[in-house]
Amino acid sequence: MSNVSATAAPERLGLLRVLGPAHVWALGVGIVLVGEYMGWNFSVGKGGMIAGLVACWVAGLLYTCVAMIDSEVTSTVAAAGGQYAQAKHIVGPLMAFNVGLFLVMAYTMLEAANAITIGFLLDTVAGMLGHSGLNQKPFIILTILALAWLNYRGVLASLSFNLVITAFAFAAIIVLFLSVQFGASAVPLDFSAVTNEPLPYGWLGIVAALHFGLWYYLGIEGTCQAAEEVRSPARSLPFGTMAGIMTLVIAATLTWYVCSGLIPWEYLGSAGTPLFDAARVTGNSGLMVLLFIGTVFATTASANGCINDASRAWFSMGRDHYLPEWFGAVHPRFRTPYRSIVFLVPIALIFALGAPLDQVITFSILSGLLGYTFMTFNMVMFRKKWPLGTIKRGYVHPWHPLPALILLVLCAATYFAVFLGYGTQLIAMLCFYIIASLWFHFWRYRFVKRGDQFTMPWPRPQGY
Amino acid sequence: MDIWNYLEYAAWALSAVIAAIMIMDMIKIDTTYDNELLTSSREGELELTQERHELDDVL
Amino acid sequence: MAYKPPKQSLAGQIIDVVVLLVLTVGALYLPLYMGLAGAAKTPAPIENPTWEALGQNAAEQQQWAALGFPDAASANEIITARFDYTFSWTALIVMVVAVVGYFILVVRLSDKEYREVIDERFGKDGNR
Repeated sequence: MSNVSATAAPERLGLLRVLGPAHVWALGVGIVLVGEYMGWNFSVGKGGMIAGLVACWVAGLLYTCVAMIDSEVTSTVAAAGGQYAQAKHIVGPLMAFNVGLFLVMAYTMLEAANAITIGFLLDTVAGMLGHSGLNQKPFIILTILALAWLNYRGVLASLSFNLVITAFAFAAIIVLFLSVQFGASAVPLDFSAVTNEPLPYGWLGIVAALHFGLWYYLGIEGTCQAAEEVRSPARSLPFGTMAGIMTLVIAATLTWYVCSGLIPWEYLGSAGTPLFDAARVTGNSGLMVLLFIGTVFATTASANGCINDASRAWFSMGRDHYLPEWFGAVHPRFRTPYRSIVFLVPIALIFALGAPLDQVITFSILSGLLGYTFMTFNMVMFRKKWPLGTIKRGYVHPWHPLPALILLVLCAATYFAVFLGYGTQLIAMLCFYIIASLWFHFWRYRFVKRGDQFTMPWPRPQGY
Repeated sequence: MDIWNYLEYAAWALSAVIAAIMIMDMIKIDTTYDNELLTSSREGELELTQERHELDDVL
Repeated sequence: MAYKPPKQSLAGQIIDVVVLLVLTVGALYLPLYMGLAGAAKTPAPIENPTWEALGQNAAEQQQWAALGFPDAASANEIITARFDYTFSWTALIVMVVAVVGYFILVVRLSDKEYREVIDERFGKDGNR
């Protein structure tokens, strides 16, 4: 250790620090906004219209807690890998390995779901234009490959691209809402089902709806992955994340309102592309085109952000030798984790081409949910090991530990919701993570340097 | 054969081209540069340089 | 004395990746192959469906038409399909034990590893 000094530091490659708060917003909202264009509506199917709205707001509360907790920890632990690096510093290596896997799984599955949706949407449009039986595969493959290439070429271009298409997709929701409000729809808004059939499954339906209520916001926590590429993480990350969650609560509520008003809930509950369907119901071809482009952009932005996030998490795990060190490489010219990006392409393709959409979504939601559960005790341990004032925090969230407790209660409710429909998958996934954990603890961890994992310039944690 | 069939072929072709470019670039980089340099990134780089002096004092 | 990890061979690296991949694909596809996956709705279509019998008012009928369902019979299955939320308490308890047990396992093993990390990073006896 003595030969290491700041002056004799060897030439090193690192990720490029080029991003501003707007890119953080684009990364966070870009990944998530697709949830408004597809997926959230299964919550209406699970419990009726009211349940859909309650799930929208309860999940909004859950994610506000997530955003608050994340902002505090991430503005302090600013490293690629986000929650993975947090877990490594606060809970321990095995937890970090699990969190890294949650992240890679959640994002790769979400990426696969997006590619499936683009294929499905093109098929729908081809069908409307009189071509039945479109082969969706080449379009799914092209989507994933093109976005991987964009990410390979550099983070600034990827996320600037995301900023433009995300802003467009968000504007499309606002335009749809305003046009419907000012009478552009040939068919009237109708909310009679709210009073006639308020809760077709009773209160249980509200809990069940939470499963897909998460889909309105899933992935907003991905903003942390950019920590090592943001110019001033302590300022940009909390700002971008909070602005992101506000954007999403607005978009989610507007989406619920327009879709529930224009589409009978029985159809809405199983629709593939609800906002596009709502535009179809208005009979206005301008809106149809707008929402078609919006859906394509939202899914593209999401897949793009997912590639960015999953590869950062995979890269950081490789860098620490949690995974083979080969993955911890940075491209000397583009300064991106290029090997991780390339490696994850075939993985995403396996799931996009081989598994049904709801399975892929559930796999993604479950991995996300396990990650949120981790955040609750992570936050408590963070404040315990380094109380306020012992280290410099970029942002301190109010009312601790209330957000952590609320998050824990909501996570428990969501586990129950997932259990109602997909109990087997839940158990299968837990088995996967348990086996992977044992594999890591008893085999893989021998390749990891012990003290080097702790990279933050903090004092010794209290109680150790 | 209508426009959608041509689009399918175009998508296949474009996918193949992108995959080829990406893999070729990766092979080129991996053979041109030393693996030690490529995997030289470390977490908390900025923080590490600031703290090194402190560590030296301790050791 | 700091722990010196062994250098992993390329073959070893590849094997480790393959192990992880097999685990991942297995976790996703096993429930699918065993036919245990998913919760589908069961339709309960009614006889001689009319929009009124299905509880659809005038505005909703217009909406169905715009979505490509011209008459009540075509929307019969979608409208009457419902999920089945009955569950067994045993299964619920198994799930709770699995989730809680998983987190306890991970946090405890992590803590063991974490103490090593802290000791190596800050010195064995807390000389700060």
